[in-house]
Amino acid sequence: MKFFGKIWPRLYIAVAIVFFVAPLLSMARFAFQRIPVISLGKDNLFKRWTLDGLFTTLRDPEFMHSLSVSLKITLFTVVVLLVIMVPTTLWVHLAAPRWRGVVETVTILPYVVPPIALVVGVSGTYRSIAPWFLASNYSLVPFYAILAMPFTFRSLDVGIKALDLRTLVDAAKSLGASSFRVMWNVLLPNLRTSLINSAFLTVTVVLGEFTIASLLLKRTLPMYMAQAQGREPQGALGLGLLILVLTTILFTLVSIIRKKDATSISSKNINGGMVP
Amino acid sequence: MSALEFANVSKSFGDVNALINFSIALEQGELVSLLGPSGCGKTTALRIAAGFETADTGSILLGSTNIIGLPAHERRMGMVFQSYSLFPHLNIRDNVSFGLRVRGVRNEARKKRADEMLDLVRLSDLGHRMPHQISGGQQQRVALARALAAEPHVLLLDEPLSALDAKIRVEVRDEIRRLNRDLGVTTMFVTHDQDEAMSISDRICVMNSGVIEQVGSPRDVYDNPASSFVAHFVGSINSLPKGNTQTLIRPENLVLTTHDQNAQWRGAITDITFVGAFTKISVRLENDDAPISVLAISTQIDHNIAIGLNIGINEAAQ
Repeated sequence: MKFFGKIWPRLYIAVAIVFFVAPLLSMARFAFQRIPVISLGKDNLFKRWTLDGLFTTLRDPEFMHSLSVSLKITLFTVVVLLVIMVPTTLWVHLAAPRWRGVVETVTILPYVVPPIALVVGVSGTYRSIAPWFLASNYSLVPFYAILAMPFTFRSLDVGIKALDLRTLVDAAKSLGASSFRVMWNVLLPNLRTSLINSAFLTVTVVLGEFTIASLLLKRTLPMYMAQAQGREPQGALGLGLLILVLTTILFTLVSIIRKKDATSISSKNINGGMVP
Repeated sequence: MSALEFANVSKSFGDVNALINFSIALEQGELVSLLGPSGCGKTTALRIAAGFETADTGSILLGSTNIIGLPAHERRMGMVFQSYSLFPHLNIRDNVSFGLRVRGVRNEARKKRADEMLDLVRLSDLGHRMPHQISGGQQQRVALARALAAEPHVLLLDEPLSALDAKIRVEVRDEIRRLNRDLGVTTMFVTHDQDEAMSISDRICVMNSGVIEQVGSPRDVYDNPASSFVAHFVGSINSLPKGNTQTLIRPENLVLTTHDQNAQWRGAITDITFVGAFTKISVRLENDDAPISVLAISTQIDHNIAIGLNIGINEAAQ
């Protein structure tokens, strides 16, 4: 029994690794080996590796354009979401706990409403009253804010629950802090990890979204990649891998920050350089 | 002129009257405890003074100014809470100087004042630590230093000792009393613990169901309770038959007698509890269901007494 107890978890992990890593390695061979797909085999595993395809794509002005569009939309979406959701979540916790359920339900609407219905509904409304709104690339921002809302709300909600919010606010006020001061000097610093988490989750939602961008005919990064696959498949897949690696690095950084915050809370170290 | 005065303050939450015509005046430098069971309105009174709740009617005078409409952050009330309320992201020194920082005091002056205050609560070595790195008792002392650093008009303490264990509780309690005396800061202390209120206060305000039952010195409240509620809530008390009425007598004002056949009351001992300096003896009176208790100095107890023994009880000569 003991033998099986040890072997099964390892087997599962091994299968999981093969399941996730094998396609990535195949992708890498396809993207970075200058060998026709039909001739890829065991004997030419280490031959003719090159990053040319990737560089060709990276030099494409269309790519730079779509990247800049996506980054701008991402930035705006993060800002819009935090500006809306931070005060809302704090308000729900401080002043209207009865409304928490309602707000939570509203934030999970994007799971219930399919993107196509969202786009058809919203664009139908705007096409008649404000056509310029749909023409701009930034018309994606409200859609993406809605898509990322569940992650932002949950991340902030968890962060706020971990604080003794009412007492911290009262303590700060009794010490002379105005509402703005309470927010800026007490609440936001203590919600740092939550804010970073929700920002990064928003980034991944926006950088991976295809349906809405395609329906509204916006030239975002995912749209560019989908189209480039037809023209320059190796370069497009190389780009896909690059983005995967970059997001992995990003998430590793986030979890390092999260872990650092967690240890600073649990640590009993006296001179651990904990001065902020 | 009083330092802080509540004048006919009333407050209700829905159908519940939390505070009814609450009036009390605190003299400069005085430490007054609001004592009562949970739900008696003591915390509501404190939160109204701090500006966290609004009174339905009445006024609150700070010196001669009515502060009822002033927002909490402009009242300069130092407050310490039951739960440790230190800001988790700031080290101890920055916590203490927070009130000065929001008032725009310069960095050097802030640091100096914070170190002085930490010195005052004897925690000067801990300035660089984070709140989670110090004990609960230390956190409450830092919270005191933080409230005092901002030079408050009045110090408001909302059950600050409740989360601490017994030994630390006494230490922090003594610390509060010492700071109140040394700095002369007017202090309002909310507690449900009568021992705490007795040992720390200049005056105790006993409350029940939103109403003040009695205000007086600890001695006065104990010796001359104004109502049956006060008599029962502050200290323990026996209700004994005397003629056709009942009389209230504290356990320490009763003496046991084995030989006096004309004792005022007679009964059988049901329990003997040794609590160090004192011993508590429970006696069930003849024709009476509820046992009464007698508190005697342990060293003066007759060696013959034992559970089951029939015994006489007299009221001690005052």
